[in-house]
Amino acid sequence: MKAKGAFLPDIVAFCCAQSAYQAADTAGSMRITYPENIRVIRVPCAGRVDVLHILRAFEKGADGVLVLGCHEEACRHLSGNIRAKNRVQRVNTLLQEVGIDGKRVEMFTLAPNQGSRFARIANEVNERIKELGPSPVKSGA
Amino acid sequence: MDNGLKLGVFLCDCGGTLSKVTDFSAIKAKLQKLSDVTYVGISHDLCLKRAQQAMQKDIKDKGINRVVVAACSPELHENDFMNVVQSAGVNRHLLSMANIREQCFWAHPDKGKAAKKAMTQIGMAINRARFLEPVEQTQISVNKDVLVIGGGITGIQAAIELSNLNLKTTLVEKEATLGGKLNRFANLYPVQVSPEEVLATKLKQVAESQNIYVLTSAELIDVSGEVGNFSARIKRGNGEFVRNFGAIIFATGYTTQFSSQIYGLELSNNIITQSQLEEMLKSSSEVKQIPKSVCFVTDISDEHSRVSPLSALRNALGIKEKFRGEVCVLCQNLKVDGAGLEKLYRDCRNKGVLFIKFDNSPRISKQDGKIKIEVEDVLMSGEQVTLPCDLLVVEETSVPPLDSKVLGSTLYMGLDAQGFYQENNVHLYPTASNREGIFFAGNCHADLDLMQALTDASNVALSAYQLLAQGKIAVEAEKVMVDPNKCRFCLTCIRACPHHAIQEAKVNHEKMVAQIADLACQGCGICAVVCPAKAIKPKDWSDEQILAEFELLGEYV
Repeated sequence: MKAKGAFLPDIVAFCCAQSAYQAADTAGSMRITYPENIRVIRVPCAGRVDVLHILRAFEKGADGVLVLGCHEEACRHLSGNIRAKNRVQRVNTLLQEVGIDGKRVEMFTLAPNQGSRFARIANEVNERIKELGPSPVKSGA
Repeated sequence: MDNGLKLGVFLCDCGGTLSKVTDFSAIKAKLQKLSDVTYVGISHDLCLKRAQQAMQKDIKDKGINRVVVAACSPELHENDFMNVVQSAGVNRHLLSMANIREQCFWAHPDKGKAAKKAMTQIGMAINRARFLEPVEQTQISVNKDVLVIGGGITGIQAAIELSNLNLKTTLVEKEATLGGKLNRFANLYPVQVSPEEVLATKLKQVAESQNIYVLTSAELIDVSGEVGNFSARIKRGNGEFVRNFGAIIFATGYTTQFSSQIYGLELSNNIITQSQLEEMLKSSSEVKQIPKSVCFVTDISDEHSRVSPLSALRNALGIKEKFRGEVCVLCQNLKVDGAGLEKLYRDCRNKGVLFIKFDNSPRISKQDGKIKIEVEDVLMSGEQVTLPCDLLVVEETSVPPLDSKVLGSTLYMGLDAQGFYQENNVHLYPTASNREGIFFAGNCHADLDLMQALTDASNVALSAYQLLAQGKIAVEAEKVMVDPNKCRFCLTCIRACPHHAIQEAKVNHEKMVAQIADLACQGCGICAVVCPAKAIKPKDWSDEQILAEFELLGEYV
């Protein structure tokens, strides 16, 4: 179980296997550290991430969700990253409607060699979610 | 509860390095308590043959039917482990990996936190393993012939390389002769061979080859089918015919156009484009009025391309050698980022070509038929310079030929912002298109100089060879599957598929459903998300598998 005291957010990061997942590997290979509470879930393309997956993550107790895909115009599956971006926007509004801060879901784009960018995103998002506090779904509010 | 699952977890401490930061036996002890886990093994080097043989034996002996490997990134050895699983008699897709090296022990220096994260990661992989599904492998025989579209130097080189690899190649060129841009260039600097010589050598190779079939004045109209068995409709003269190919290579090149709007100038007898100058240099003996002073302007309409500054340098040197007049090149940032370009720039300087750098576009005016250029020279702290000249040569932007653009969209290929072909992934698959079995070579997809285009052509030839040489392709049958009972044939997936891999099909001779072509499918799973009926299931990335990974949220094992 988690230690009491400082709030350690649970963040789910859907990572495209073509780019962001490899960027996370690059970060590790370069020994660039980032918060260990980021849970990387490998997906074949950011376009595989469904609105349902993101919502289910919140239902299961995530405090924040990241969708990480390829840079625009560099998606192996042409439109996967654009589709993911639109879905993230859709989830933003859905969350707002049910009273959860839409900022808890974010989309970023990376290239496989951008290990330090991966770590920077992880750090920044972790700080932002910490400020927002635990997800209202989790606390049952 | 007996669900028939027998999970085997194989831990690897990466040659003992990970054991130094965490206690693997403690992880093992924890894992053994989890339900369905029948075996937990620790290895020091799962990437090596010896350990893999032991792993294979363990899978067989313990009757394991789901394998979890906790080791380095799946990007490195996933395929090897899949082979091990397969050789142990278990379907190769019944493997799930936890990345405890790159994404855990290497990234997190705090030993306690890293150990906790590793446990969570392995737990996630175990959860995922419960929902894995087998995917059967079959082999499909393919046509070994290759179609090359575009008879420029890139297409010619690709055809030669393919014929050397013993693949029969058809080279289709829309013009009456092969050679493309090489027929128009006056020189090929920084390469010290004339375009005629290069072309003659290559054409001789084409003529001598038994494997190359050249079709000039011909055009590709349409392509149906998928990788390994494309049928291409080709138009030649008034006739049309269909041929079958295993792979298609596009080497349609680029064309140039002058934008008079950006310059605020119209072309005239003393304002000409680079390609008009090429013509002039090519027939230099027939030029009556030799220009005494020539000015080149680059970087105004097309600062991003390599074609524009390269042709300015080539032609500046060409003019110096043929007409010996004064030559001045106006540029913003002359990019010499290719092999030999720095030398070409120095050669120009040594021959007396003057370079003037500007920040603000030069003002060009015409008085009594004479051209006057006013420019602020950046290197002279913005001092105003006035240059009269006999001949002004303006740059052209490189654009895709109109017919290649049309062809690209009829074949469902990705186009970039300018309409050039978009590679599958600029870093990982620089010559592959979004469709399996269709490749791009040369300037139709990238900004290349001659040497780079030739390398690109060889690259593509090897890719096609790798694909077709065996005469058959291994394919994973129904790795993404449409449930015909759920499919309402709304066409959403057919429109969304980036690889044109979904077609219509009939089940039981009555109901129309979407069907995924296993060879063309690249497994991105976009169709599964857009399907309103949730009728499509990617077996390696099913909803159940993805959702199973966050079962452990909020707690650590």
